[in-house]
Amino acid sequence: MKVLVAVKRVIDYNVKVRVKPDNSGVDLANVKMAMNPFDEIAVEEAVRLKEKGIATEIVVVSIGPKAAQEQIRTALALGADRGILIETDEEVQSLDAAKLLKGVVEKEAPQLILLGKQSIDTDNNQTGQMLAGLLGCGQGTFASRVDVEGDSVVVEREIDGGLMDIKLKLPAVITADLRLNEPRYASLPNIMKAKKKPLETLSVGDLGVELKPRLKTLKVEEPPKRQAGIKVSSVDELVEKLKNEAKVI
Amino acid sequence: MTDSAAAAILEKLESILEPGKLRTDAESLDTYGRDWTKKHTPRPLAIAFPKTTEQVQAIVRLANEYKVGIVPSGGRTGLSGGAMATNGEIVVAFDYMNQIEAFNAADRTVVCQAGVVTEQLQTFAEENNLFYPVDFASAGSSQIGGNLSTNAGGIKVIRYGMTRDWVAGLEVVTGKGDVLQLNRNLVKNATGYDLRHLFIGAEGTLGLITRATMKLARQPKNLTVLVLGLSHFRHVMDVLETFSAAIDLTAFEFFSHKALKHVLARGEVPAPFEGEAPFYALIEFEAVTEQVLEESMGLFEKAVEAGWVVDGVISQSETQARNLWRLREDISETISEHTPYKNDISVVPSRVPAFLEEIDAVVTRHYPDFEIIWFGHIGDGNLHLNILKPRDLPKEEFFKRCEQVNTWVFEIVQKHEGSVSAEHGVGLLKKDYIGYSRSPEEIEYMKAIKRAFDPNNVMNPGKLIDL
Repeated sequence: MKVLVAVKRVIDYNVKVRVKPDNSGVDLANVKMAMNPFDEIAVEEAVRLKEKGIATEIVVVSIGPKAAQEQIRTALALGADRGILIETDEEVQSLDAAKLLKGVVEKEAPQLILLGKQSIDTDNNQTGQMLAGLLGCGQGTFASRVDVEGDSVVVEREIDGGLMDIKLKLPAVITADLRLNEPRYASLPNIMKAKKKPLETLSVGDLGVELKPRLKTLKVEEPPKRQAGIKVSSVDELVEKLKNEAKVI
Repeated sequence: MTDSAAAAILEKLESILEPGKLRTDAESLDTYGRDWTKKHTPRPLAIAFPKTTEQVQAIVRLANEYKVGIVPSGGRTGLSGGAMATNGEIVVAFDYMNQIEAFNAADRTVVCQAGVVTEQLQTFAEENNLFYPVDFASAGSSQIGGNLSTNAGGIKVIRYGMTRDWVAGLEVVTGKGDVLQLNRNLVKNATGYDLRHLFIGAEGTLGLITRATMKLARQPKNLTVLVLGLSHFRHVMDVLETFSAAIDLTAFEFFSHKALKHVLARGEVPAPFEGEAPFYALIEFEAVTEQVLEESMGLFEKAVEAGWVVDGVISQSETQARNLWRLREDISETISEHTPYKNDISVVPSRVPAFLEEIDAVVTRHYPDFEIIWFGHIGDGNLHLNILKPRDLPKEEFFKRCEQVNTWVFEIVQKHEGSVSAEHGVGLLKKDYIGYSRSPEEIEYMKAIKRAFDPNNVMNPGKLIDL
């Protein structure tokens, strides 16, 4: 079974995000970039499927600038077999990303398409759902367990009230939630091997897609600063303040 | 001390300090009279919280007048009992002298009061796109004054040196009560004895540091972490030599699998790789360019071919870098439930393997039931030896046996011309052992220096050396 995993290059989770002085966006100059953490989980799941003998080939795809090759190489080091970079320096919104991924799916014909449930830069949580819609196939979002059974897959989903199990016919789109697995580190020998794995570059046009942003960013602002806490000297003072200042009791 | 003398001292302290800045309640005495050590019982006279250098000076003069001891108190994270007040001393706590007073971008310096918390300085530097490189586990509580008084080191010493290397100038109140401005932030200053360096690492025995001008560095770029599994402890030096010859390392740490097991058992961070190795090296460097990364891969290959290294991983994101660091940094915390005997010792890096093997052998021979946990900043020859208390052994018996271990360890330290305290200081706990690292003549000169600055022996009496 062929598995396609989509990964996105995003600002590193641990970087303190700074807003550009002109409020047009987040400052990315000289900032550490990394693979979207949920995509890392998607890659790990694909690798585990391969280790179980279920997946036979893992293709990893990313949409973004040339530097997104780094994230593809990371996925290759973790165990993916080959990579595809859809290179563009333009802003790619969810629907366009889904259309581009659909193009790759049509070329590659994978049985399973794995994505992170959302990227930590825009937090849209749309691409997986849109991709399934465009493909007309089933979707298992917020997956915390994935069991492939013959020509279908059972996905345990994290929902508000608890867990929900659904069964999907393959091919299907699955988006990974935090508890699906714990991704491994890239081992140094595998990183060296990954350099020799094939990485193909496509343009947006190659897939017959035209990027059409449908959302316009008006302004990006820092959240309001939290006020400093105060110390109270007694329980009475605390009660007094909760009553009269905070007005919560 | 008579009750009337104590009352007079308290009254005068009240008049020196701002209202509410003198505490004598039992809880404060217990809290501020101790550090992280558990061996002694705190019994201070009072806790003073000065806000200015003038107030500190007045307290020191008062102490001289009444011949009462002063114990400086910072973040109280010390591990050698240097901040223990056990004998009716005045504890001078710097919690209210915690202002970052000035920043000079051109000089890349920051003027800090002694009570500035290390993390506060680190954050301030970061906000100004700079970096305060001295970092260790207790950075969230420890204060600059305490860092200076113990010449704190930590995890980046191989690249950035000790606290001493980041001091441009100091303001101190000597044991006599004089206020000195030392070095005045100069880079070059060839005008005789550099008294600044006497106060750094003096553990408060010469006077009190009230203000320090600290230097800052540029921020490191793309810090990347490798964790390598070593086939044998001996090869840690081969790996260190190979990597540091080619790349400017920011850290080179090591830990044993026995140590790692405790961290992994807690289940908060994943193992570096599937197999296990008896020892691990954690290497950190700035991957400024792709070339540096390539270079590190090449060195790894070489280490594997030579048989030194069995496997290795490299961080692919900051999150991974942090998690890999936790394999090393969480050791102390995860073994603390086993009441570990701890020792912080150093030798020159090249002597580490022989030194470690000798200590390991002697402890194992006499106490085969002891679990020995090794980790440390091996890039600068600093080892943390931890021995865990066997579950069934009573505490008293364990500590008694550890006293014996101390002697063996320090004899081996002496043989290898090392230090009985690499970065934790001497305080009360290691005072009896200072002779293993310093000659009698040297100790005499230290005493003479102490007498010059503190003739009445009021500054942290009983710590480091006895007069």
